[in-house]
Amino acid sequence: MDIFTLAMWIITILFMIYSFIKDKKKTINALKNAIRMGRSMVLNILTVILIIGLVLAFIPAESIATFIESQNPIIATIGSALAGTVTLIPAFIAFPLVGTLVNASVNIVAAVAFLTTLTMVGIVTFPLEKKEFGLKFAISRNVLSFIFAILIAIVMGAIL
Amino acid sequence: MIKKIKNNLLTFIVILAYILLFIFNRPIAITSVKNSGYYIKEMLMIMPIIFVLTALLDTWIDKQTIMKFLGKESKSKGTLLAFILGSVSAGPIYAAFPISVMLHKKGASVKNIVIILSTWAVVKVPMLINEVKFLGFKFMTIRWLLTIIAILIFASIMNVFVKDEDLAVDKAFCDGKVNLNIRACIGCGICSKKYPELFEVDNKKAKLKNLNQINEKKLQEAIKNCPVNAINK
Repeated sequence: MDIFTLAMWIITILFMIYSFIKDKKKTINALKNAIRMGRSMVLNILTVILIIGLVLAFIPAESIATFIESQNPIIATIGSALAGTVTLIPAFIAFPLVGTLVNASVNIVAAVAFLTTLTMVGIVTFPLEKKEFGLKFAISRNVLSFIFAILIAIVMGAIL
Repeated sequence: MIKKIKNNLLTFIVILAYILLFIFNRPIAITSVKNSGYYIKEMLMIMPIIFVLTALLDTWIDKQTIMKFLGKESKSKGTLLAFILGSVSAGPIYAAFPISVMLHKKGASVKNIVIILSTWAVVKVPMLINEVKFLGFKFMTIRWLLTIIAILIFASIMNVFVKDEDLAVDKAFCDGKVNLNIRACIGCGICSKKYPELFEVDNKKAKLKNLNQINEKKLQEAIKNCPVNAINK
């Protein structure tokens, strides 16, 4: 558990104790609410996770690296940005991978596009986002994030 | 049973895919399960506390406060606060969903919600440290700055595009007179007992039927008796 997750646990537990002292009934109500919230989301999150597991089994992170290396820059950039949207690779795998790509000075633009869409755009989390925020919000946020991820990549390619 | 499958179609398809894989291609199925294991651990580490924190904040922070600090009038201070909230938190992007929904319900602007969600996904200190380690300080700083600028721009674009009403997917209207908050609804069925002509419960959620004439007295009964105050006029 990283320090930020730990901090969140500590803050929330302290908050809960404070809340209990201040108003027991309200706190119990809040906890019931939390359980209700969890119940309504847990199945959706599990579905998302199972999809990610499946996608990563078929398209391992290494194969994306090979793809970026072998294509012409434009196809590689769009392709890797798309690959980034369908996957949710943990940072400790993604950064070393992109690191080797950049250090081998293979197409920086494509590597950055991949890195940015990886975290910001989520096709697998889309159903969940749509359920919580509505279709229009989910589409606009993901499409705009995708466009800006490519812009960021192009600017970085020009600077570096 | 059929209704249940229909409502969770995606879950059903995924489970089916796993079963088929286990029969026809066991190694890939096992890899998939192992991959999922990591994310399940990540979820269990963060989500329980997210739900409790969201519910507590919902209980103790009132609408005026949220509106003042994160609402439409909050201007650049609100933007800054949204950035900080997103950056100091932990967990994957979906962990930001419950808190963001709650904040929006209490008056935070669309722009600030987008900022919280996006920074939550991208600006993570442990991630930045990792990035420095593998890609260098210069690379990280430039990407970080560009990302923040990008988030600011597209959050402003979305603020124009997406209206507050678009987020309220859970509101059904009957003759424009009754609002039903599906997200809050727990499907207890009290409203459909009090006013069966207007309410029905379908798949554990209340639904409005179309009525031209609303019986004010019965509606008030339903509003008063709803345990989660999901019905509004």
